[in-house]
Amino acid sequence: MKEFLLVILVAPFVGFLINGLFRNVLSKKIIAFNACGQILISFLFSLVVFSTILESGGAIFEYYNFIKVGSFQIPFALQIDQLSSIFLLIITGVGFLIHVYSASYMKEESSAHFGRYFSYLNLFIFFMLLLVLGANFVIMFIGWEGVGLCSYLLIGYWFKNTEYNYAARKAFVMNRIGDLGFLIAIFWLIAKLDTTSFSIIFSNESLAKLSTLDITAITLLLFVGATGKSAQIPLYTWLPDAMAGPTPVSALIHAATMVTAGVYLVARCNVLYSLAPITQTIIVCIGLATAILAATIALKQNDIKKILAYSTVSQLGFMFFALGLGAYTAAVFHVITHAFFKALLFLGSGSVIHAMGGEQDIRKMGGLSKKLKITYWTFFIGCLAIAGIPPFSGFFSKDAILVSAFAKSPALYFMVLLGALLTAFYMFRLLFITFSGSFRGTKEQQQHLHESPAVMTLPLIILAILSLVAGVIGIPDVLLNGGDKLSEFLSPIIFVNNEHQLSHSTEYLLMGLSTILIIGVIVVAWVLFKKYKTTETVGIGKFFENKWYVDELYNKTIVNSINKLAKICNDIIEKSGIDAVVNGVGRLVHYGSRQLRLLQSGQVGNYILVMVLCMVLVFSFQFIFKK
Amino acid sequence: MIHLLQIDISKAVNEVENAGSYLPIAIQLLLVVGLIGLMLLASHKLGPKRNTSDKLEGFACGIESHGDARKPMAIKYFLVAVLFVLFDVEVIFFYPYALSFKQLGWDGFWAVMMFVGFFLCGFIYIIKKGALQWED
Amino acid sequence: MNALIVTAVLGVMMMFSSIVLKRNSAIRMLAIVGLLFTFIANVLDSSGVHFFSINIKGMMHFDQFAYFFISISIFCTFIFFLLSAKEMERIGVNYSEYFALIFFILCGIILVASFTSLLILFLGIEIISIPLYILTGSDKKNLKSNEASLKYFLLGAFSTGIMLMGIALFYGSTGSFSVENSVVIAATTSPMLLIGILLLLFSMSFKVSAAPFHFWAPDVYDGAPTVFTSFMATIVKAAAFIAFIRLFSLAFTPLQDRWQLIVAVIIALTLFVGNITAVFQQSVKRMLAYSSIAQSGFMLMALLAFNTFSVEGILLYIVAYSISTMGIFSVLVKMKDSSLEEFNGFAKHQPVLAVALTVFLLSLAGIPLTAGFLSKFYMLKAVMHSGNFLWLIIFAVLMAAVSVYYYFRIIQVMFFKESDSNTIIVSTSFKWLLSALAIIIIVLGVYPQLLLQFLV
Repeated sequence: MKEFLLVILVAPFVGFLINGLFRNVLSKKIIAFNACGQILISFLFSLVVFSTILESGGAIFEYYNFIKVGSFQIPFALQIDQLSSIFLLIITGVGFLIHVYSASYMKEESSAHFGRYFSYLNLFIFFMLLLVLGANFVIMFIGWEGVGLCSYLLIGYWFKNTEYNYAARKAFVMNRIGDLGFLIAIFWLIAKLDTTSFSIIFSNESLAKLSTLDITAITLLLFVGATGKSAQIPLYTWLPDAMAGPTPVSALIHAATMVTAGVYLVARCNVLYSLAPITQTIIVCIGLATAILAATIALKQNDIKKILAYSTVSQLGFMFFALGLGAYTAAVFHVITHAFFKALLFLGSGSVIHAMGGEQDIRKMGGLSKKLKITYWTFFIGCLAIAGIPPFSGFFSKDAILVSAFAKSPALYFMVLLGALLTAFYMFRLLFITFSGSFRGTKEQQQHLHESPAVMTLPLIILAILSLVAGVIGIPDVLLNGGDKLSEFLSPIIFVNNEHQLSHSTEYLLMGLSTILIIGVIVVAWVLFKKYKTTETVGIGKFFENKWYVDELYNKTIVNSINKLAKICNDIIEKSGIDAVVNGVGRLVHYGSRQLRLLQSGQVGNYILVMVLCMVLVFSFQFIFKK
Repeated sequence: MIHLLQIDISKAVNEVENAGSYLPIAIQLLLVVGLIGLMLLASHKLGPKRNTSDKLEGFACGIESHGDARKPMAIKYFLVAVLFVLFDVEVIFFYPYALSFKQLGWDGFWAVMMFVGFFLCGFIYIIKKGALQWED
Repeated sequence: MNALIVTAVLGVMMMFSSIVLKRNSAIRMLAIVGLLFTFIANVLDSSGVHFFSINIKGMMHFDQFAYFFISISIFCTFIFFLLSAKEMERIGVNYSEYFALIFFILCGIILVASFTSLLILFLGIEIISIPLYILTGSDKKNLKSNEASLKYFLLGAFSTGIMLMGIALFYGSTGSFSVENSVVIAATTSPMLLIGILLLLFSMSFKVSAAPFHFWAPDVYDGAPTVFTSFMATIVKAAAFIAFIRLFSLAFTPLQDRWQLIVAVIIALTLFVGNITAVFQQSVKRMLAYSSIAQSGFMLMALLAFNTFSVEGILLYIVAYSISTMGIFSVLVKMKDSSLEEFNGFAKHQPVLAVALTVFLLSLAGIPLTAGFLSKFYMLKAVMHSGNFLWLIIFAVLMAAVSVYYYFRIIQVMFFKESDSNTIIVSTSFKWLLSALAIIIIVLGVYPQLLLQFLV
């Protein structure tokens, strides 16, 4: 198994090296084959590893000593257990589908750029695997930074467009803010426990060494890291901009995998979080606020990918909400189902954009269901899944979250239910505007309309099936006794809290209520957007359309003041302080050199004189001053 | 394994540690220095002094002197002079050998032959390089 | 002992080779083969196969360190021959004599690496110096070369005088030429002995061109034919260092507290003068002369601290420094003149050589992953271990930072300046050799044990 893990990890890296180094030489076919093949190898080995986990449970493997300073050491160790094996499957499985999809989606690119794209994508998979497989915070952090880097590179993939570069930069900077929190948390742990290994930190002896303040601070700092990577308030604004990257990238990185790293981090540290009620409360608030805020913004967006992006932010909010409630299993469950249906939706949108010749504005679409049959039906399944209609997977995962919210307090339940309703509304608004009614684009676009090739639709179909059936792993006990395989599977890692067990009748009632309300919302959406016409939005709608003016707010308060401070630093400290000193040193050395040079007069007599004088000096020092 | 030839000097020299054995040399040194000093002083004091302009002029075999003494001259003069000194010094080494010839025996003989051999090498080199050819 | 006799005989053979052999290539071949044979003889010697049996009366002692250093110098000379032996043809007609002189110098190097008597030390130093005076002036038609030779001779004679005076005082106070601690301990209180030691310190500082006895170095290195400068500044200098360290570590440690501070000050001065003056030089050759002064400041640190780090460090330093400097000089020899402008756009015309040169320069500047970094590190570590010279370490690091300036100037010129399209012509084998040397520098920078394992 030790070797298997290494193969899983190394295969994408090999793909990265081959595609990256020989991108100018290899043909597009070989590049695509190489990239997909490496991920397939990873996926197959992941399946093997997963089946071993099912039988024998997790293990930690140490490969070599990564860092050793005095008594403190960080091994290069990989940890495979129930939690990481699930993520392993998602990353390699969904990753493989998206790779295959990309091979067709990106075929217009020149072969060198094609190679660059796939090498980045492979590198991303490598780092993402490192992130979930790392057995200590440092290895995890390497993966964490690595995926950030790949995200940056892929958002800015079309680097000739300045806007895209800004988006990439924004993503990077926002992530860095969060990473700072993560780093401080690691340092804090090292200072207190002298280790970064999960297995040691989460043991009872170590936990006993930490005070409540330590735990609260560490969990909060880790959560800061998670807000950056998983796009939560206040660091969420980079994710919608990140849609500048190619659509498969959005599907893979900014929907299915990387953005769930924060959820993974918190779930991994669930032992710590369970001991920090203050942090949990904060996470609940932020998760809920993010879920609703992003949903309201999504209501009024017109860019197909932006809607999906805000939807992702909102769904991530749900996940964090669940994490804050202590329903870690529900959060992980939602990560799994979300990975399927959100990847599906993104790829579907990619197919639409592809058909529309690069058009992303849904106001210029409409009636696409006739031309894009497969895309339409799979997209429809995705919408049903995300909206939470039984028996689609989203229903079960969302239900798990709703139930745990109700167990905490009915008020929370209604708020999160509001979020779920908003979700259903904006998704079906998107679906109806895009696919029903009449076509509103240009003539050429209408002629250009076509279904995508099989290489693209096949992943859609597979993901649609998965979105449909993935719920079975977590069917609640009420519906099927012993159906909740996921909690059982994760129980060695995640402690299940059974305190607030709801009565069966309440659960039935909740399910019924949410389902009826969601269907109602869908009907409303149908009525409103069946025959969509472009109109100017006003009032609160405009407020939503402009994303609550958060970007403007950040610009006015933070960015501007930092820029001003930077200007002051540049003008005063840099130019007349540091520069003066640095250049001064250089000038001093130059001056000294010019003067010292003169000592070398070329006159032998002078040389001997200086030598003799020095000797006399030494002798006088030795015999007069020392005695 | 080649045994390079060497001599055991201790056979020839004994009792050098005693400072008293140097006394005759010291006396001789004193006598020599004293005699030379005395002679120089005497000739300087006793001799008549009549300085004329002709006498103070540089003397060169009776030929009237002209030009500067530091004229560049052929390097050959120096070369021959240096080589002469070199081989002259070589001969000096034979004096101590001559004194202890008997005591050192055949070992000493071969050692000195080796020494001579080295110089012979040098001599052949000089000849072959044409350092002693007066005309080009 | 093998190598000593072999080099001496080879020197004589080279003298006669011009009479017997007519072609320069044959002479060169003879020298290279002879050197290889010397190397083998020395290695055999160190493993117990002695060609000759000579009673040296305890005046010399060949220990493992001595054998190792002799091997290193023979190896470096071998590299020197491969790199630059052809260039010697351009200097003058006495091609075979240059080789003969170099063999004699090697003979002297072997003496100074193994002496246990001050007489042998003196003999060795003189056998090294006198051929060097000749080599410096070997470009007979060049006034600068003549001037350098004369200056070298005058100043060298001056330092020889000081050394002899030091030896005489040493003998006067101890009654022995033997280089042993016990001899010194018996006469510790004698001021005559202290003066003797200090005089030896001065004269040896002169030989390794440490400030303020360095004045000869820039003029001589600049004036001498570049080929011989590269030999002088590397192998010969290393030998002088070994002699210096051998003398002081074998004999003068009992009086360590009387001379250690002086050595520290000399090191600081050397670093300062070498590095600061090098900054302003416009000629690469002269810059390298000053750089070699600066580098000797670092090498002298082995004198401050006698421990395993310093022993390993000095050997690594010698190899790293010698190879890098010879490599740079070997390219410099092929240039029209030695001004910095000659290197303009060098990377465009000779990318392989430019990369190799960059490695050498990085090594000299002490950038990590090169042997130069590790050797500097070893030296600083050695001083650190001996304690109480923290100020010197800080100063040395600062000066190393200054050195980066002038080394990088060459790199910058090579890669970022446009050329005037005058290229040098080099053979493919030369390129291979230079790349191999660059690889050695990097390998030693990563895995120094490769070299140091022989030292056990």
